[in-house]
Amino acid sequence: MITKAKLLPLLSALTLSLTIWSCASISVFSPEAYKQAVDLKVESLNLMSFATMPFADYEEEVFYLTTELDKAFEFSKGRPDNEISTEQWEILINEQGNLLGGFLKRWETEGSLSEMFVTEMQILVSDAFDTIIGLESGKIDPSEFK
Amino acid sequence: MPTFNDFISTLKTDLLDFAKENLDEYKDELLKDGTLFIEKVKSDLERWTEGLASGALSQADFEFLLKGKKDLAQMEALKQLGLSKIRITKITNGIIDVVVSSAFKTFL
Repeated sequence: MITKAKLLPLLSALTLSLTIWSCASISVFSPEAYKQAVDLKVESLNLMSFATMPFADYEEEVFYLTTELDKAFEFSKGRPDNEISTEQWEILINEQGNLLGGFLKRWETEGSLSEMFVTEMQILVSDAFDTIIGLESGKIDPSEFK
Repeated sequence: MPTFNDFISTLKTDLLDFAKENLDEYKDELLKDGTLFIEKVKSDLERWTEGLASGALSQADFEFLLKGKKDLAQMEALKQLGLSKIRITKITNGIIDVVVSSAFKTFL
């Protein structure tokens, strides 16, 4: 026969084990990471629109943006249980890849890029940022655990 | 006095209701995201092929865009993986609530 005295320790043990198991998987929501991604999306798309012009005229702006992107990547990497978001940043900013990092590298290498290519890359990069923002906004707010 | 079997029976019913509600919602979200992504791939390819034919895009541009789409698909898959993990966490928290409330409903 289950009594109240036996039931409470049983439920506590079950709750504790399930909570530990469920919390070990992914980081909680970070307003700072969310804002960082939204701000960088706007700044990146804005700078990309100038890629039909000579790279030399925008070298400083590109350097500033890549530094900010590196900071966002490092911030993501430093958060516990945040490997998935970090991997997303890595794909986005990779110079050898074909999203924002690769785009900026190609602008530097080729000097300027065609209008349609720039417009289409802006769509891809915008969607890429949205995957980062979408994942971050889906994360559980730490207050929900209280 | 309720027995342990009463508790298990209540718990089974409550968990089934909980699972049905959550899985249906998850299935709908996945289908919506997947369908949207496929539709976007299709319309992008149509525009890029036209751009290539008209000379607005070079062969190198076209290849870069295709590879970019592949990178984007990877990022989308990572987002879905992360959201699945979040859902598992939420479901686990929900299960805890269901177990506790079923037990209290039965015994207390």
